[in-house]
Amino acid sequence: MTMTQAPSGSSSGTPGGPLLRVRDLHTEFRSEDGAALRAVDGVSFDVEPGRALAIVGESGSGKSVSMRSVLRLLPRTGRVTAGEVWFGGQDLLRLPERQMRRIRGRDIGMVFQNAMEAMNPTLTLERQLTEHLLWHGVCTKSEARERAVRALGDVGIPEPERRIRVYPFQLSGGMRQRAMIAMAIVTRPALLIADEPTTAVDVTIQRQILDLLAGLKDQGTGIIMVTHDLGVARYFCDDSVVMYAGRVVERAPTRELLSRPRHPYAAGLLGSSVELGSRDRPLHPIPGNPPDLASRPRGCPFHPRCDRAVLPRCQDEQELIQIGGARAVACWRAEDGHDDQ
Amino acid sequence: MGVVRFFGQRLARLAVSLVAVSIITFGLLQLAPGNFADIQRVTSGATSIAGTGTESMLAETQARYGDDTPVVQQYLTFMKGVVTWDMGPSYRYAGRAVEDIIAAAFPVSATLAVLAVLLALLIAVPAGVFAAMRQNSKADHATMFGVTLGHALPNYLIAAFLILIFTAFLGWFPSSGWERPEHVFLPVVALALGPAAVLARYVRSSMLETLREEYVTAAMAKGGPYRTVVVRHALRNSLIPLVTVVGPLLAALMTGTVFVEALFRIPGLGYYAATAAASRDMPLLMGTVLFFALIIMVVNLLVDLTYGILDPRIRAEGGWTSSRLRKVSTQQV
Ligand SMILES: Nc1ncnc2c1ncn2[C@@H]1O[C@H](COP(=O)(O)OP(=O)(O)OP(=O)(O)O)[C@@H](O)[C@H]1O
Ligand SMILES: [Mg+2]
Repeated sequence: MTMTQAPSGSSSGTPGGPLLRVRDLHTEFRSEDGAALRAVDGVSFDVEPGRALAIVGESGSGKSVSMRSVLRLLPRTGRVTAGEVWFGGQDLLRLPERQMRRIRGRDIGMVFQNAMEAMNPTLTLERQLTEHLLWHGVCTKSEARERAVRALGDVGIPEPERRIRVYPFQLSGGMRQRAMIAMAIVTRPALLIADEPTTAVDVTIQRQILDLLAGLKDQGTGIIMVTHDLGVARYFCDDSVVMYAGRVVERAPTRELLSRPRHPYAAGLLGSSVELGSRDRPLHPIPGNPPDLASRPRGCPFHPRCDRAVLPRCQDEQELIQIGGARAVACWRAEDGHDDQ
Repeated sequence: MGVVRFFGQRLARLAVSLVAVSIITFGLLQLAPGNFADIQRVTSGATSIAGTGTESMLAETQARYGDDTPVVQQYLTFMKGVVTWDMGPSYRYAGRAVEDIIAAAFPVSATLAVLAVLLALLIAVPAGVFAAMRQNSKADHATMFGVTLGHALPNYLIAAFLILIFTAFLGWFPSSGWERPEHVFLPVVALALGPAAVLARYVRSSMLETLREEYVTAAMAKGGPYRTVVVRHALRNSLIPLVTVVGPLLAALMTGTVFVEALFRIPGLGYYAATAAASRDMPLLMGTVLFFALIIMVVNLLVDLTYGILDPRIRAEGGWTSSRLRKVSTQQV
């Protein structure tokens, strides 16, 4: 019944196969004194075409760094030290930079976490929404402008014809966030990575954006949605990955994860969620703080905060083990099958 | 509206500053030991006073400023001359009006300064960008070492070396004069190297900062070639703050290139100002000092304007008086 996770290395791109297959991704940052900080520590997940994957976890758990590693856009101090990222039959981590560039922005679009900082303050929306269409030779300049105007309209920006001429600072935070999304989808990428795309917008706009993304999903776009908001995951994402201290601790269809979380951390995250908590049940924040990357606990990184921890077994490395169909949990106690939620 | 008010305020401030500068300069000149006649007597020997025309000059001055007129009256007389662009004759350069000297010398200094700044930018921007794009590589260290060298040498030493190499050994360029185009080369190079070094460091650090911005990564995420991203997204934004350095630099070069002008015998403003100060040529000194102050203030005004043109955030809706801009202009004052 129990088996270790799927073997790595098989290429994607086969009909019916996953769109993106990330295997055992490791990313380190080198600090000034030469010490290596493992921000991403063996992350694996698949994204299927036409489906959305939620990546949830506390701040600092390595969600954004994982996404940047996939696109190979780490700062100078960061480096992917191991792993594979299969997309379109190629391992992106081993692709020459020139070919990687053709994939970025055209086949894989990325919405950055902070739209305020991720848009150039001195270039108009038009420049920023059309330049990659031109870089990739997708269409002519005037077509690019039309597509950009349409994309702005799609994300719910009123008067896109006029707005396309403004600078990012002339937009409200929510509008800027939507313009950022328009920038990523204007090329119709096969895979969209959205790092907290709805954090800065109000609820009605959030709904509008999610519906737009759902439309893309129906057309076959694969979506990775990094989010703190389990409500967003429930509403929109077919599958979920829970990250903790640079690791995947649980992977499951979202519905199953939310109804019966198996990893104690996932359960804790749910119990502390304002979005999902019912009014008659009090919130239970997880006690303690996530570990400092420099002094990671041995074995399961969560065990010092875990109320179900049993020493010394939790100090052994916890492999992500498959439970039932599509679920995998990195906790030996998950096999007990107790659900005390 | 914002722009109009901004200009009104700045022009008013400019006028007040000029008056203040004139009072201070005039006051200091009154306090300084010796006057033009004394200095002439000392430097040229008592016997030749009559021959230098000093006596006639003194007579002329007295006619203008009055014999025993109080200092305040003298000041006002001079300022009236400033306003009407008729500052009377220089003491030192007999027979030449102060305004004529300034009008003749300023274009020379301005040409020199503008060309030097252009050359400095032409060196500094590519060097700084190059070094930043290869941060901490050998190429970066080599470039910055060369730049530091340029910075360490004062411009008159560079000028002397240039004359030695290009005039004495190679014989390619004349060492002095200001009549033909080839006279321009050596002094411009001598003036440009030091500022080029300063600017290159500035470009490099500003560029490094910009390259760390999220929007640069975001542009890369759209598939932009690194160079295109650097030029379109990073370069412009890292050059905007450079304007605040280039402006004062330009002003400084327009007004104070005494050594280089003297070395190459270029009849520029710095040269006249220096001789005026040495010989207590009150009208000429007052004239040049006020003119320098005017240049510096006008350049600062232009810097602020340029800043607004380059940065849409400042240009927007009356933003010319935004806090960011105010911060910038106070840094220069
Ligand atoms: N440039 C960097 N240099 C050093 N460490 C970094 C750098 N960027 C991220 N990290 C570290 O990597 C870890 C993961 O960061 P990451 O940004 O992926 O978190 P996150 O899960 O996206 O959090 P959030 O929800 O707040 O966005 C953090 O501990 C962070 O301190
Ligand atoms: Mg993040």
